[in-house]
Amino acid sequence: MTDKLLKRENLDKLIGSVTVGGGVFVAPGMEARRVVFREVTRADEMTHDYIIPVNSYKDWVFPQTEVIARFAIKKDGVDLKGEKIEPPETVVFGARPCEAASLASLRSVFTWDFIDEFYTRREDRLTVLTVACTAADDECFCTTVELSPESTVGSDVYLKETADGDYLASAITDKGTAFMEKYSTLFEGASAEAKPKELFIPEKIDGIDLDRIKKWLDNKDHYDDPLWAELSRKCFGCGACTFSCPTCHCFDITDEGTTYEGEKRKNWDACQFEHFTLHASGHNPRDAQFKRWRNRFMCKFNIYPKKFTSTGCVGCGRCIRVCPVRHDITEVMEAISGR
Amino acid sequence: MENALREKARELLTSGEVQVVIGYGWNRRKTRTTPVFITRSEDADRLVFNPLCVNNLSIYLTRKYKDIQALGRPAIVAKGCDIKNIVVLISESQVKREGVYIIGATCNGVVYKQELWAGELNPGIMPTKCHNCDVRNPHVTDFVVGDKTDFTPPEEPTGMVFDRIRELDKKTPSERWGFWIEEFSRCIKCYACRQACSLCYCERCITEKNMPQWVETSAHPRGNLSWNLIRAMHLAGRCTFCGECERSCPVNIPLNLVNQKLVLTVKDAFSYRSGYDEKEHPPMIVYSPEDKENFIK
Repeated sequence: MTDKLLKRENLDKLIGSVTVGGGVFVAPGMEARRVVFREVTRADEMTHDYIIPVNSYKDWVFPQTEVIARFAIKKDGVDLKGEKIEPPETVVFGARPCEAASLASLRSVFTWDFIDEFYTRREDRLTVLTVACTAADDECFCTTVELSPESTVGSDVYLKETADGDYLASAITDKGTAFMEKYSTLFEGASAEAKPKELFIPEKIDGIDLDRIKKWLDNKDHYDDPLWAELSRKCFGCGACTFSCPTCHCFDITDEGTTYEGEKRKNWDACQFEHFTLHASGHNPRDAQFKRWRNRFMCKFNIYPKKFTSTGCVGCGRCIRVCPVRHDITEVMEAISGR
Repeated sequence: MENALREKARELLTSGEVQVVIGYGWNRRKTRTTPVFITRSEDADRLVFNPLCVNNLSIYLTRKYKDIQALGRPAIVAKGCDIKNIVVLISESQVKREGVYIIGATCNGVVYKQELWAGELNPGIMPTKCHNCDVRNPHVTDFVVGDKTDFTPPEEPTGMVFDRIRELDKKTPSERWGFWIEEFSRCIKCYACRQACSLCYCERCITEKNMPQWVETSAHPRGNLSWNLIRAMHLAGRCTFCGECERSCPVNIPLNLVNQKLVLTVKDAFSYRSGYDEKEHPPMIVYSPEDKENFIK
């Protein structure tokens, strides 16, 4: 596959071409003093100076809140109508290679023993244009979880920035090829002078060994190891890490409306919340915060790798950056690797 | 200062006066501080104190943290602003004064967010609370570490929060409403604001009461508005303006504006400031014949 050149000045046209037919273009932009993924309609709403947006673009395949059914209670019974969704064409521009790998993780769980069409229909309409990293911060750890800025897994089109701020584009999937064909006037033949900027490959954290972690977690005796409390007692149980995590996928179903009619909503939920596992009896199997944090770690490094071929953690570092108590998942990975 | 802190922690743990010292330590790279729970005297050297020590550790004294309570009597490293929260917890019978050993840390200000730290503390990276702090020499303590400071807060409160409140006060009610609807629209219902707050100590928050569901948990405009208004009301007259909710908010909702406005309103209506005297009760839970009645129209 030969690279094509997407000029920075053509981004506006690309956004226009996608959105003119009702499509949605998601790209990093500034909002409330942070770089976030958000819907844009013009190139000047985008920013190019970022490590990774603070939120995940999972919001466009797994929205934080959505109606899945509507109900009405009538004299002769309950009228329950499932919601049918017809998502628009959605393009994510400026994803990072780590996060691109997360869609497979979401798909694994949403197609596992039941096809969740609220997810799959959206993902079917989603095209991911990844821009490879030329910078990283202390929190990036993709190389520690076997990914890297060079990974193309999950990307439909993989882009490398050139010194001029343009992009060398290569299609990775059929969806990516179709996308570049659809907007072929904007993907020009690349001249030999267009050289990509050097990628920044974060250093792998030496003391971390994923296999050792998985094996240690496999041993049920370690479930009650004092290490869990020692390392994660400080967690205060908000959902900032899970809500910014590109692979966290838990949701809650709630009814809203009046006594007689309303809607069923599917909302993001977090295993860090105390009532996440609270039973109707009042018993809570995860009765302390460190046990809830242990679950988050087990999910990513034991349950996921055992159940699925996709990865539970992509090393984007969002959970570390966003954590109000600076609980660093890599410090726990390191401690367990040393056991 | 850190030597004195570590020495005191060692002494308290060795003598058995406390079983855990709740304080600050470095992360692996020594770029950020993070809460630590020291239970062995030989680990006391992990304790640090510097302008990155932003967390209000008093949350760990509340009844939500049964696993921490199980460790035994705690000592806590606390800045004056953090002590204000401990004072409210004592006045609301959540913590017994003798149940906690308070190691007060003299403070010259902290950073608004740790990410702003570039090796030097300057007023530009300090939160509004630090600019007007009257408890840099901590006010309720069992022991103090650090040299006494002679900082005196300005007579008229200064800082971005006050400037923005003045701007908002000039707006019409509908403009203000529009401002808050937009700010709250970003809320993702992660409840970091609640979890970071030591005065949000309810074991079951109203948003978790779901038979019926009193507060809509969806992150849509109606649900976000209900949540943020309810939390503000529950903190009125109690909030000490420690700023932890705003600092913890991943979507940067300016909660300090809500909090300081509440502080000003309560001060005006009841001549009360929370967090100074553990023997006084917050105005919303007591009746006094002197209470103003001018709101009854």
